[in-house]
Amino acid sequence: MSTTNSLGRRNFIKLALVGSAAVIGAQALPKNHHSEAEGDSPHRWGMVIDLEKCIGCNYCTLACKAHNDIAPDVAWNKLFETGEINGKMHYMPVPCQQCEHAPCVDACPVKATYHRADGIVMMDYDRCIGCRYCEVACPYGVRSFNWKEFDGENPLVPMWGTPEVERRPRGVVEKCSLCYQRIDRGLAQGLTPGVDEEATPACVVACPTGARVFGDLNDPESPVNKLLEENHITRLREDLGTEPRVYYIHAHFDKKSEEVCG
Amino acid sequence: MNATTTKRFQLTPFQTWLGILALFMVAGVVAGVLIFFNGLYLTNLNDLVPWGLWITVDLSAIALSAGAFLLSAAVYLLGLKQYQPLARTAVFIGLIGYSMAMLMLLLDIGRPDRFWHAMVFWNLHSPLWEVTMCVILYFSVLVMEVAPIFGQAEWFQKRWPGLSHKLEKVHHIAPVLAIAGLGLSMLHQSSLGATYGIMKARPIWYRPGMAVLFIVSAMAAGPALTLLASSLSARFTRRAVVNDKLIDGISYFIGWVLAAYLYLRFWDMLAMSYTVEPGRTEGLRVLTRGQLAFNFWIGEMLLGVVVPMIILLSGRLRRYPILRTTALFLVVGGLVAYRWDTNIVGLTVTMTSLPSQLAPLYTTYTPSLIEWVTALGVIAYGLMAFTLGVRYLNVVDHRESLEAVVTEKPFSFFGSSVF
Repeated sequence: MSTTNSLGRRNFIKLALVGSAAVIGAQALPKNHHSEAEGDSPHRWGMVIDLEKCIGCNYCTLACKAHNDIAPDVAWNKLFETGEINGKMHYMPVPCQQCEHAPCVDACPVKATYHRADGIVMMDYDRCIGCRYCEVACPYGVRSFNWKEFDGENPLVPMWGTPEVERRPRGVVEKCSLCYQRIDRGLAQGLTPGVDEEATPACVVACPTGARVFGDLNDPESPVNKLLEENHITRLREDLGTEPRVYYIHAHFDKKSEEVCG
Repeated sequence: MNATTTKRFQLTPFQTWLGILALFMVAGVVAGVLIFFNGLYLTNLNDLVPWGLWITVDLSAIALSAGAFLLSAAVYLLGLKQYQPLARTAVFIGLIGYSMAMLMLLLDIGRPDRFWHAMVFWNLHSPLWEVTMCVILYFSVLVMEVAPIFGQAEWFQKRWPGLSHKLEKVHHIAPVLAIAGLGLSMLHQSSLGATYGIMKARPIWYRPGMAVLFIVSAMAAGPALTLLASSLSARFTRRAVVNDKLIDGISYFIGWVLAAYLYLRFWDMLAMSYTVEPGRTEGLRVLTRGQLAFNFWIGEMLLGVVVPMIILLSGRLRRYPILRTTALFLVVGGLVAYRWDTNIVGLTVTMTSLPSQLAPLYTTYTPSLIEWVTALGVIAYGLMAFTLGVRYLNVVDHRESLEAVVTEKPFSFFGSSVF
């Protein structure tokens, strides 16, 4: 009896060791960008959107859809009519808010959505399992699931730009990535994102009224930081503590009086 | 000649039942294949309501499997050995329930080929990750808990005597399995509630009680399904034999769990009405006065909790098998209604994010035909598996002879007896 038991114990320990080794091995396997800690980068990208300047032309969405090769029924940047002030219609464009405390990043069961070192909330389309928990978690509704395969031609190409990233497969969730590909390519060429067009998100470049401004929040001289100093600033759903890195300048009743209005 | 042909094609009720289930399963497989190859746009799910009927099937199947961990714990940890035959039925139902949930999830996720990602890419912050891991681990526990059932089946012993002996021996680690099952179930049955509870974007879910309510409701409905399935089997076939005393004992327990659940739910609901909170207040209105009001008041509360609670707590009413069985059925139905309402109320009321203007927006969701066909296919699979279990594996058998197996040897682990 005792012999069988000790054999059983030895086997049990062996089994446990092999099991834990397998688990540790599996953990060590995916060595990639996900291991980078946020803050390892000197940059922290952010965007300011001036609601007084926005005329609702939707060029931002169109440029975004061409440069990121997005299906016709999906939009990473959404445009809302917010109402009339002084006889003038106002709009609000909503891209991914690039939250510092992003509910989607916490929710994703497989870390397919994560923070890059420079703070961009990224999607790993090779990892996403399509459970859509991030969509449920996002307070801003900026995530889109690929319900259908996008296999046709993109009607906005080449009129609004040429695709710079791979098209996403059916069955994954996709969203705005602040055109990380433009930022990275620009930095590699020695350009300054937010100043040089080639290194700046497509929506910012496409905006005809300069309502969108992009730049490094860590750089005191960046155009975004100047606007943040000079204006009344709001972020969406600040009550949730998500700390978005997209800032909005209010629309005014009258420019001179600077009276704040929604 | 004619007479023999008619005789040959005369189906027994058992065959008819299996035939109907098989039809539903085939339809489900066809619909599932259509979705696999074309995509989820065939459903009525969308970016506002990304979870629907299927998630209700998942949540219900898992909650209704809770009899497995509860009864195993009762038998092997609390020493209530007389309930061993019920625990046997419960673990078998548990195995079926979890496999139903996994089947349904495989269809629900956009990339079923990546179902294993949660095992390799861990996000410790995600309750859904924790649920996935627990479900996988607990499924393995259930497989081991069910192993002796196969080992004890006569036809199995005849065909594979060596293997059946090994499977039967797994029974000796039943207490360890019961501990593992208890731990894993306490974790994920609660975390399924927390999966909703941590969503600050959805005010009606964002509250601390969700995890508790999910596990307590599962503790009532899980054993209820075990008893319901046992009683119904005994009614329809001689292969299932139940002991009324066992059914009665657990029924009484369910009555008390329902009372606890009613109390917790009452204060949870009332506390949500203390203040007006955008989104939550509107959700509460949808639940109590809007499109979900009938589901909530009648389905969840009156029929799902109050009526069965009274029947199961009253010794006089509980004695009537028809009343008791009806009560157990109502508890199961009430749980499904609760899971459905919870999911729908949070998703159909969304908030705008305009700066000074937090307005709720309403949307609706009705499952599409293809969602129903696939869901019914999965349910038919569950019923089929249980039916075959009753017929060929003796999963509902409360006769004394089986109890001998448990008491035969004290449990020993690492050389010394711990229990």
